[in-house]
Amino acid sequence: MPIFRFVIQRLLQAILVTLAVTLFVAFAIRLTGDPAVMMAGDSSGVTEEDLARIREALGLNRPFFVQYFDFLKSLVTGDLGESFFRGSVRDLIAIAMPSTLLLAIASMAVSILISIPLGIHSALHKGGLSDQFIRVLSLVGLSFPNFWLGIMLVLLFSITFPIFPASGFDSWQSLILPATTIGIILTATNVRLVRTQMLETLSAQYVMVARAKGLSEWSVIYKHALRNAAISIVTFLGLQFGNLIGGLVIIELVFNWPGMGTLSVEAISQRDYPLLQATVSILAIMIVAVNLAVDLVYGLIDPRIRVA
Amino acid sequence: MPTPKTEVHPLLSVKDLSVEFGFGDFAVRAVDGLSFDLHEKKTLAIVGESGSGKSISSLAVLGLLKHIGGNITSGALNFQSALLGQTVDLATAAEGTLRKIRGNEIAMIFQEPMTSLNPVFTIGSQMAETLALHQGLNTKDARKKALEFLDLVRLPNAKRLLDSYPHQLSGGMRQRVMIAMAICCQPKILIADEPTTALDVTIQAQILHIIRELQEELGTSVIFISHDMGVVSEMADDVLVMKASKFVESGSVRDVLGHPQKDYTRALLAAVPKIGSMTGTSAPKLFDIPGITAATGVTPNATVQSDEQPVLEIEDLTTRYDIRGGLLNRVTHRVHAAENVSFNIYPGETLALVGESGSGKSTVGKTIQQLVEPVSGAMRYHGQDIFALPKEERKAFQKQTQYVFQDPYGSLNPRKTVGESLVEPARVHGIVTTKAQAQDLAADLLKKVDLPTDYAKRYPHQFSGGQRQRLCIARALACNPSLIIADEAVSALDVSVQAQVVNLMMELQAKHKLSYLFITHDMAVVERISHRVAVMYLGQIVEIGTRQQIFENPQHSYTKRLLSAVPVLNPGHRPTRPPLEGEIPSATRAVGDEPALVNLRQVSEGHYVGA
Repeated sequence: MPIFRFVIQRLLQAILVTLAVTLFVAFAIRLTGDPAVMMAGDSSGVTEEDLARIREALGLNRPFFVQYFDFLKSLVTGDLGESFFRGSVRDLIAIAMPSTLLLAIASMAVSILISIPLGIHSALHKGGLSDQFIRVLSLVGLSFPNFWLGIMLVLLFSITFPIFPASGFDSWQSLILPATTIGIILTATNVRLVRTQMLETLSAQYVMVARAKGLSEWSVIYKHALRNAAISIVTFLGLQFGNLIGGLVIIELVFNWPGMGTLSVEAISQRDYPLLQATVSILAIMIVAVNLAVDLVYGLIDPRIRVA
Repeated sequence: MPTPKTEVHPLLSVKDLSVEFGFGDFAVRAVDGLSFDLHEKKTLAIVGESGSGKSISSLAVLGLLKHIGGNITSGALNFQSALLGQTVDLATAAEGTLRKIRGNEIAMIFQEPMTSLNPVFTIGSQMAETLALHQGLNTKDARKKALEFLDLVRLPNAKRLLDSYPHQLSGGMRQRVMIAMAICCQPKILIADEPTTALDVTIQAQILHIIRELQEELGTSVIFISHDMGVVSEMADDVLVMKASKFVESGSVRDVLGHPQKDYTRALLAAVPKIGSMTGTSAPKLFDIPGITAATGVTPNATVQSDEQPVLEIEDLTTRYDIRGGLLNRVTHRVHAAENVSFNIYPGETLALVGESGSGKSTVGKTIQQLVEPVSGAMRYHGQDIFALPKEERKAFQKQTQYVFQDPYGSLNPRKTVGESLVEPARVHGIVTTKAQAQDLAADLLKKVDLPTDYAKRYPHQFSGGQRQRLCIARALACNPSLIIADEAVSALDVSVQAQVVNLMMELQAKHKLSYLFITHDMAVVERISHRVAVMYLGQIVEIGTRQQIFENPQHSYTKRLLSAVPVLNPGHRPTRPPLEGEIPSATRAVGDEPALVNLRQVSEGHYVGA
């Protein structure tokens, strides 16, 4: 029963947040300038009537809230309308979204594969040479701007040693450099998280109890300690994934990755309202959905929440 | 004619054990040249105060020291392993050998039942894990065996427990699970490190009874680590006393507790408050222990005449906490923490409020300090009705009552100097305004609690637990209060320190005519310090009277139960009557389900008992 209430509560919150975000997006976009001017192109021969005709054709002369509700309706039905310049918005997003998700998942995978073993190692050898080395490395990683790291990797692995493609998305090899770039940046944070969480659970009394049972160190660390540390780690990684979906813009641009970030930036520079509204809103909805999922998963992996 | 001697090999023979933490110049010796023998089917109690090295010694036996940063620097721990058919030196044995012995031939119960079980695994899987490891049982057989042992430690509904998670169990139940888990491979040695310290006294009696029974049934030897002389006296065959990582003395429980040879043991025993030691006296009495507390010539206040006007009158005080639930988040249950509580406290008097966890005793204290709002009831301070006053004027009353908390570590701000912390209440209430005034007050307060005045410049981490509790008392005195609420204020302290702080409180009371509301679960300390006693059970006072009336002529069944559950320091005496079973019931009730109110009737002058 409490679980049910919790789910309903979180769902209602998610819906409210989505409404607020889409409203803000629709409003803010209209502050950036008149797309009719942009569409009319070269401003020398354009009359006020031309502009009015364009606005009429695009439906921009209707009241703001009518336009907003149309947009909400299109979000619900999935028919996202036409871009000003590039055809069906739904088709554009159907191509861009999987690329972004693929990149986000690959980056997370890189980070998890590195940070969990390193974090555990660091915690087990707290204060030792390897721990200090890992911590310094993590600090260095945190201080890198991610686009700079991306450019360095491109210089090294596509130009000096042409192993991987520098840009675009043609084959799985294209994924390596951007995913590694983001993976490394995420690892810098995650290593610290895993280390702290493991240190905390390793000092818990139930870990000593597990040792006193005669269990092997492997079982003590990976079963008893990690399973508890995982509660916070999984929660954090989930939230990180949500942020990542919306935060890939710069890396997508650096690697010319055909994802949601690139699509949004293009839409901004062309003042393509329908496209921009749709991309930003869908990214926001994804982030809200991931957050919701994290909350629910948290309830699943922590019995103290599951069984009240 | 002398009986022919048979060579008896001790099960575990510890020789000249030394343990250090850290290396080289930074090494700290935690155990220094400790030797003892543990014989089959015997209980050896290792006693000492915090930092004496008693827990460290037990971790050394299990070979677990390296996980907390300790190393065995010398000595041997020879264990007769039936499993391996040979004597194993646990100090030098390979990790693989130790793992075979741990949890199998030597098992351990830890102090904190609330944190000893892994919160993410079911009870069943945590027990089955040990059985699978050492006895190679499959899941089904392991569960069956686990069930057997849960029954053995008298856990009701054992079958359902197997699939429960630790957080669904009370502290007492968790400790039983822990015991079941420790004995499920029928170990030769069971190490119990303060197994009942975190538990209520009636639950403690149950757990001790279970350990004694199991020992008889399974023939286990027990190393019982404790600071509680009463518990040791009831449990041990032999006793070993440690102080500051060194051996002090050892022998049979009768010899060590009855005829201690060393001054330290004598002082330690003298500092233990013993129930019944005050029989026949009406006034509280200072501890007089050579080497620990010196008599200061101050006599504690005698029993106070009740014809004076009370400092504080509490009438029908009711405090409840709401619990919300359901889809609409409405109040579905209430914790009836305090129901119709009434008592008076007279000037210069100590009223002890005793009860077990969940009895509502702390809630009463917090309500008086206005940290929580009562549902109903009246509170008169020198005749003035406090709850009738507007909010701002109530604050003036707050400075007349001060609170001393249980945890001396958590209740001083680590980033403030002691001086700043001490004068803070006076600053808040506008009593001191200038820096010079603050310094004078801090110096004055430190003098009152017998600490050097230059301590004002130091920070809390530079002090021991006992000193910190003195500082908390000094801070409580900053506003010249007439009432101090001491909520388990001496419960976390070692007995010798506890004796000093209790003495200090009595001296301050005599000098400044202070009143105390002394909230505690410890009946023995209550007997020392209090003039009158109120016993709380499930939010209500079930018996109230003078100290003598409560201790020498208890009337309510709960008071009797509470008093009989306290372990008695009487070497050789074993409680034979099994303790009452059952958990402490909960004061949480559904909305509309009001508890039956206890009617107090007078049995003699000032002695009221619930029906």
